[in-house]
Amino acid sequence: MTKIKLWRALIAMALAVAALAMAACGDDDDDDGGGNGGGGGGGQTEEAQQFPAGSTMAKLQDRGEITIGVKYDVPPFGFKNPQSGEIEGFDVDMGKLIAEELGVEPKFVEAISDNRIPFLQQGEVDLILSTMTINQERDMEIEFSEPYYIARGRILVPGDSDIKGIEDLAGKRVCTALGSTYEETLREEAPDADLKLVDTYSECLELLQNGAIDAISTDDVILTGMIIQDDTLKMVGDELTTEPYGAGIKEGDKEFQTFVSDTLEAAQADGRWDDTYQKWVGQYINKQAQPPEMTLQEALALG
Amino acid sequence: MTELWEVLSEHFPELSSGFWVTVRLVAISFVIAMVVGTAVAALRIAPLKPLNWVGAVFVEIFRNTPLLVLLFISFAGLRRAGVPIDAWVAGTASLGLYTAAYVAEALRSGVFAVGKGQIEASLSLGLDYPRTMRYIILPQAFRTVIPHLGSLTIAMIKNSAIVGVSLLALPDLLHQARLVNSRTFATNETFFWAAVGYLILTLIATVVVRRLEVRYAIHR
Amino acid sequence: MGYLFNPDNWEWLTEGNNLRFLLEGFLVNLEIAAVAIVFSLYFGLLLAMLRLSRFRPVAVAAGVWVDVWRNLPLIFIILYLALALPAPWKDFYENNVPGFFPEALQSGRVFAGILGLVLYNSAVLAEIMRAGILSLDRGQGEAAASLGLTYPQQLRYVILPQGLRRMVPATVSQLITLNKDTTLVSIIAIQEVMRHGRILSSGFTAFTGGAAAPLLQVFIFIGALFVVTNFALSRLSRRLEIRERKRTGGTAGPVMGLEDQTALAAETS
Repeated sequence: MTKIKLWRALIAMALAVAALAMAACGDDDDDDGGGNGGGGGGGQTEEAQQFPAGSTMAKLQDRGEITIGVKYDVPPFGFKNPQSGEIEGFDVDMGKLIAEELGVEPKFVEAISDNRIPFLQQGEVDLILSTMTINQERDMEIEFSEPYYIARGRILVPGDSDIKGIEDLAGKRVCTALGSTYEETLREEAPDADLKLVDTYSECLELLQNGAIDAISTDDVILTGMIIQDDTLKMVGDELTTEPYGAGIKEGDKEFQTFVSDTLEAAQADGRWDDTYQKWVGQYINKQAQPPEMTLQEALALG
Repeated sequence: MTELWEVLSEHFPELSSGFWVTVRLVAISFVIAMVVGTAVAALRIAPLKPLNWVGAVFVEIFRNTPLLVLLFISFAGLRRAGVPIDAWVAGTASLGLYTAAYVAEALRSGVFAVGKGQIEASLSLGLDYPRTMRYIILPQAFRTVIPHLGSLTIAMIKNSAIVGVSLLALPDLLHQARLVNSRTFATNETFFWAAVGYLILTLIATVVVRRLEVRYAIHR
Repeated sequence: MGYLFNPDNWEWLTEGNNLRFLLEGFLVNLEIAAVAIVFSLYFGLLLAMLRLSRFRPVAVAAGVWVDVWRNLPLIFIILYLALALPAPWKDFYENNVPGFFPEALQSGRVFAGILGLVLYNSAVLAEIMRAGILSLDRGQGEAAASLGLTYPQQLRYVILPQGLRRMVPATVSQLITLNKDTTLVSIIAIQEVMRHGRILSSGFTAFTGGAAAPLLQVFIFIGALFVVTNFALSRLSRRLEIRERKRTGGTAGPVMGLEDQTALAAETS
């Protein structure tokens, strides 16, 4: 081996070793922060149910963890706390409930609107809880749980904007996320608007705040999260759409779908849903909310 | 197989508009890269040390910073600082300046290939330094580095895809491919056509460079 | 201008966990780069050898492979792999990735990123290496043959050592480019420095307490991290090249000055 090749190999290995050493000394995950610490191996609690062998639930129990796709930049539903590195939010808490019911550790990964369904289909994640609206198009690719939250579509504009509703969007630059349902909605309801599509809603917020766009349109809870971050913004217009959120489950896995739906409904019945709502949404806006009354069939019928 | 053609026929407008946006992006950035790159190369080879230094700093900054970081700084960062820069300007400026650093280095090597002798001869004949550069050295330098500039153009075509996925939200070919994919979920088919689009562009660039090489290049 | 240099806008560096959060993200970039460069070098050399094979079909096939990957945008390759990589491949990765690899590199999505980087860079490096080998004087190969060395032996002891040595600056230049390209994996939602920078400058602090860092400064800092790292790498390359010149007293054949090699490196980035 020539000197240079040897040098190159040594340098490459030295870099790799140095990187590993530094990583070993650090104690945070930087890819995902699990609710109670990510990583497998967690055992089952005494009270965990037994599930039929071969079912997803049993497999997850064997593995000891469930991988859940959530948003990392959409407070209050799913976001990464820079101080602690932990992932927090309403969806995250729902995910923790399901994990608890299974008796496994929850592990969270980021699922952006664009890639969440492929991730589920490939088995990259076991479950999606990322402000995902139930609709027929998606239902062909995956299974939905019963709705666990009803959001409404609204529009967000700077405090001094004169946009009052969707009628005023003609010729204005409106932002929403690639792969979200609002793209279709906006094309139909505001065909003359100049649509800007980005990866994540936090990018939309950035564009609104620095004046590159005039409005953002998406679910009211996401917009509320933005207003909490920047109270110079305001929500305008009538409710555009009804957006029932459902958890995403792999196509064909009816057992798991039933399990997830049952768990979420139990949480709605016994008050855990209300507590979670209060913690993440209720305390910021003075709006009471009821757990959703809608069934999955009704949600699908909406569109 | 039919799905492949279905995707193309049903979504041709989106994909082709993305294609043309990419062409626009590359064309404008190309001009910026050539103009700025030439200027920086001139700085680098000027007989004044401070000018060399300015050129060197430009090259080191723009060559060592990732394009995505440049895009963020030039668009989001500057806007936050109060500069009302528009997405097209930020995108073409970032891509153009980024490539300009490489163009400058390529031209510098071209000038060295032409040789000090010509510079000295020209100066001794009474031409001043700027004229020497403009009429004698740079034309030859350009012709020497045509293949290098061709590769840089192809690199620029590829880098333009990065602009499309950044928060600048310029609807270029890759952006539109993701859009169509999010509606049809036909990932393989959609990305196949986008790949075809990019390969068409790089093919055209390669052919153009070869033609130019044949007609104009000086081989040393 | 004042905004840029105002010290208040740089205070975020010392607050809370901010600096550490950014550096942790940067570490992920470096880790990905380290893994990718090792595999790219290996496969690049392999591809270069295939290209130079005396079996026409093999050489042509390798040539087509290299040309396809070289001409596609890297971000395109990474995005496509992230969306379309079959589950079994990801499982294979997750089951076989060594335990001592850092946490961030354990998930299947990073595999898409690393695979994309390797597919692309191995093709580019293959071309660099092939150019280096071909730039060698024919005479070297012929002299080696006349000494009785077989073709594989010629390659191993005469042609490769000299050819590859010429390509060190171009290769390090590609390493620098690869380092920059690791930022592209932020698009497939891997938590590296760009994502962390976005989070730091977002308004999440309304939920978590503290103050949001100003975006311009955060990204200038991130840019500086890269400039420093890459500049150090390019300095290293120069020193290696100078050492090489001292050792062999200049390369044989047409003189490939540093400028030419920089230009060659520029063309392959």
